[in-house]
Parts: sequence; C-alpha cells; structure tokens
Amino acid sequence: MRASTATAEVSADDAVRRGRLRLDGVRKVLGGKEVVSAVDLETEPGEFLTLLGPSGCGKSTTLNMVAGHLTADGGVIEVDGRDVTGTPPHRRSMGMVFQSYALFPHMTIADNVAFGLRMRKVAAAERDRQVAEVLEMVGLDGMAGRHPRQLSGGQQQRAALARALVIQPDLLLLDEPFSNLDAQLRVRLREEVGALQRRIGTTTILVTHDQEEALAVSDRIAVMADGVIHQLDRPREIYLRPGTDFVAQFIGEVNALDGTAAGFTRDGYACRVADATVAATPAGEAPAEGTEVRVYVRPEVVRIRTDRTSGLVGTVRETRFLGSRIRCVVATPAGDVTAALPFDADVPAVGEEVTCEWRPSDASLTAR
Amino acid sequence: MAAIGRVSDGTLSRPRWRTGLLLALPAVVIFGLLFAAPLFTLVANSFRTQTGAFTLSNYERFLGDPFYRGVLWNTLKVAAMTTIGCLLVGYPFALYMRGRSPRVRNWLALLLLSPLLISMVIRAYGWLVVLGPNGPVAAVLKWVGITPPQLLYNDTAVLIGMIHVMLAYMVLPLMGSLDRIDPTLVPAARGLGAPGWTCFWRITLPLSAPGMLAGAMIVFSLTASSFVTPAILGGPKVKLMPYFVYTQATTTLDWPYAAAIGFILVVVTTGLLLGYARLLRRNNGDVVFQ
Repeated sequence: MRASTATAEVSADDAVRRGRLRLDGVRKVLGGKEVVSAVDLETEPGEFLTLLGPSGCGKSTTLNMVAGHLTADGGVIEVDGRDVTGTPPHRRSMGMVFQSYALFPHMTIADNVAFGLRMRKVAAAERDRQVAEVLEMVGLDGMAGRHPRQLSGGQQQRAALARALVIQPDLLLLDEPFSNLDAQLRVRLREEVGALQRRIGTTTILVTHDQEEALAVSDRIAVMADGVIHQLDRPREIYLRPGTDFVAQFIGEVNALDGTAAGFTRDGYACRVADATVAATPAGEAPAEGTEVRVYVRPEVVRIRTDRTSGLVGTVRETRFLGSRIRCVVATPAGDVTAALPFDADVPAVGEEVTCEWRPSDASLTAR
Repeated sequence: MAAIGRVSDGTLSRPRWRTGLLLALPAVVIFGLLFAAPLFTLVANSFRTQTGAFTLSNYERFLGDPFYRGVLWNTLKVAAMTTIGCLLVGYPFALYMRGRSPRVRNWLALLLLSPLLISMVIRAYGWLVVLGPNGPVAAVLKWVGITPPQLLYNDTAVLIGMIHVMLAYMVLPLMGSLDRIDPTLVPAARGLGAPGWTCFWRITLPLSAPGMLAGAMIVFSLTASSFVTPAILGGPKVKLMPYFVYTQATTTLDWPYAAAIGFILVVVTTGLLLGYARLLRRNNGDVVFQ
C-alpha cells in the first residue's frame, strides 16, 4: 500500500509533494436532507486546514467522506491526484483521530498503535521499533503495556494520535479531538499537536466548532454552515475580513454597520453609514456604487479618538475594564460600535464625544 | 460480574448499608426458601435409601451404568449444540438488530420473545406438526424432489425446538454487549487498514465476548435442564436427564435416585459453566468482565 512504500526511501521532494487533498463539488444527502452541498476545497501539502462551523453544518460529514466512512453522493475526492471517491476506507491512507479517541479497549496501547502496521504486514521487529518511536514522540513511552482505560483523557488522546501517525498517512484527520478534554489541557494539547504537525509535515484536516482553536492552530480555515463553505482563508483574514454575515457573526464579536457603497478612495473602499463616511476592504468583488452594503469591524481594530470630530462620531455610552482589554461602547448614528481597547489605553469618559476609526484593511464590506 | 463485587468498596455508611440489605431481602428470602433449602434437601435425599439410611448406591448405580452415562453425555451434547446453534443464528441477528432504529428493534425483540409467550407444550406440538411427515417442511422437500428424512423424534428435532425457545436468551445479552461497543471503533479499524471481516474478528467479536458468555451460560443451563420440549420432540428415542428424573420420581417412585440424577446434572452443568467462564476469562484478559 502507499503508506508502506512512502516510508524511508522516499526522496524529500516526494515527501513535500504528498498530502494534497482536493474536493470538487462533493455532496452528501443524509435522511433526505442535503447536509453537504457542492464543497470545493484544495489543500497545500503539509497544510493544517480546519473545517469550522456549528454542529450540523456538514463539517464532520465532509471529513468522514474524506476518510471513506461515508460515500459521497456527488463530486470527486482526490488525494495527490488519485481519485479516491469510491475507495473503501481501509485502502485509503488516512490517519484519523476521533472525538471519543476510539482506542480499542481490549488491546494495550502498544497493540492499538501497532494495529495499522499489522494490517500493513510490517515485520514484527520493525513494527516494535516504529511503535516505540511514535509513542516516544507523543510522550507516552512507558505506557505501552497499559490498557486505554488506565490512561487519562489527555494520554488517550495522544495514544490515538500516535496510532494515526504511525502508519505515515497521506492525511491526518482530526474529528473534534480536543472537545472531551478540560479547558487547560485542551489548549496545551492543541499546541502540542500543532507543533508536532509542523515538525512532521503531514497535511492535516481538523474539524471543530471551537473558533479559538481554529484560529490558534490552522494555516487556513474553511468556515462551514448549512453544508457549504462560506469562506476559506487564513485565520487573520477570516477574523478581520469576514466574507459573509455568517462568518462575521459566528467568529468572535463584530460591529456590523449598514450603509451605501460609495466607491474606491485613497483610503480603501468608501461607504456611507448614516451621515459619516467609513472605509473598508470589499470581501470578493467590489460592489457597485450605490448598492446597499454592510461593513464588519472587529472591536479589537476600532480606535477611539477624542481629538477629532469628523468621521464616525458618537457618544461614549459605557466603558468596562475586562482585564486584558477595556470594552468601550460608543453610540453612533449608525448604531452602537464596540471597541476593545488595550488595557493601558486612554479611556474616554462616559458621555464624551469621540470618533471611531480603523484601518480600512482591517475591516470588510459585503453587499447586503 | 466482577464489577458488582467492586461496587461495595466499604465506603457506604451504615444506614445505607442497611437499606441495601433491606432491598435485597425479598430476593434473599425467596432464593433461600425456594431454591437453597430444596437443593439441600435434594442432596440429602440423594444419599439415602428408600427407607432413609445413608448410602452411596444411587450414585454408584448411575455412574456405573454405561446407559446412564450415555444419557448424561447426550444431555450435555444437546445443550452444547443448542448453545452453538443459538450463537450461530443469534449473532447475525443481533448484529442486524444493532443497526436498526429503536422502533424496528422493539418489533424484532417482540418477535424474538414471542416463542416465550406461548405455552411450551403447545409450541412443541406445533413443531410436531411442522416437522411431521405430513407437515409443510416435508411437503416442500417432496415438491423439490427430495425424500424427506426423519425429522421428528431425534436430536435434530430437539435442537430445532430448543433453539427456537432459547434464541432470545442468547440475543438479548448479546445485544447489550454489542450496544456497549463504541460505534467509532470499527471505522477507526477500517481507517487503519482493516477490511470489514478483520474488523469483525479483531474488534466486534472479542468485545462482544461478555454477551456471548452470558448468553451461552443461560442457554446451556436452561437446555440441560429442560423437560417438555425434548420429551415431546425427542420422542421415545431421545432421552435426556430431566426425563429420567421425572420418570424416577413419578413412575418408579424412587425419589432418592431421582434426587441423585438431578444433583449429578446440577454439579456437572455448574462445573462445566465455571470451567468455561475461567477459560474465557484467561483468553481475554479481564475484558470479559470489564
């Protein structure tokens, strides 16, 4: 099989080129409902890509079609140029980590990890060597003889990761792997997994509903809702320049200002909101002048100025100290604008007249 | 099973311990009065002559007679074959049931339990009709051109009748075991390169061992001690242990000998089941009793 030939003797060039996943118009109907509609996706080899969305958005279904546990009802799934759409899961080379970890309870950790190698008929000595190596890599050396239930949640998660990685898969698929862990451990493990992934360079697809997790570990994020990808971009772009209303509202907090497109200016794309002109960067095609648009601005990029009275002017309604940030709500003619100011910023007084500003490149604009 | 023992880890406070005892009391009383005491009387009787003196002759008579030893052997054989038959028929059925919706599962469970809703005698006579020389089975065989073999009054007839009744006792514990298996284990194994059959042999089957064990124990012990179905379907040729207990007690009126036969059956069955449980436990580590 591919994974076994792709071990030691493969040249660095090949190793770099491996793990390119392409989905073209992939669809899935479950129970009469189209849960995944025409998903297109292409990863770079070695990329960490996250499918992010609320439960029922089709992200897990998409991952299971990539793994082969579900059959696509339409479209093509390709790995490194090979069409695997109809290939059964045991003939694809995918290492998957499940939310429940899915460790085999009747086998030791060593046997769990060795399972994939046994299926590939790797000789016993070589198998033992690889199992020991991967267990050391995930920090489980010394746990080889234990059964899964004798391990903590975090250790089980590492064991599941070791089992997925030892077969040197084309793709590493992670289905909500951190959601059964407590908050602290979740952050630590996702950092470890991120570091490990960068080190071994296996293309990785993560499925999660946790936006912070997605932003923290991914090279790119595909935000999904109702079976379609709303936006596929780098975390910074997804956060600062949401392309759809759903992306803007699903991730973090956002100021959404309705206005009319006024065309390009020196400062970016201008937009009239109430009696002020603000600028932002169009998500996708620039809308024609005069179209109804919505501007999305994250609280973190909003700056409050007390020395100007032009632009988006309003009255400070409330300020609140939140530790790392100061939350400041300004009532403007276009609606409330929330700003998350640095903790050492000059905090305006409640009732003071201020101007809200941001860099046009840090805000996005879409047609309504 | 071991888990039951582990529950009382000594941390229960006294009043709660008493509540526990109170809850168990009805079962303990019923079990003590209606099972333990009669069993004790049975054992005591089996070592007496008809006049009441102590003797080992009842056991000598049974164990010294190749005919009776043959009956014991045949009883165990029929029980073992019924158990294997239930496993072979019941396992695929349980697998099928597992994938169905709760509604379908309820109907299938009802179907499974339906033989138990009918009187044993009526059910056995039903099989007499079905398997008889003028029954539908023989008719179908004749129609396809096969001379129907003797279907009644042999081990096969008893086996068919017993499997029909016992299937539920095998499938229900098996279902319990299969339901406890994490449904992502098989996809996980598939993803690691295991074809469907390998997943079954290496994941599903070993993890359902507790259910198979429980089902096999129930079916084996119930079959070894069953009377009506073997008596009706086996006819005069197939004679099993419970039949001899019955005839010694009612026809010959040799109660001590009936007691001895009954006790031999209890001892042998229990011994076999214990040995079987031990064997499985050793082969599967502590997984069976997880």
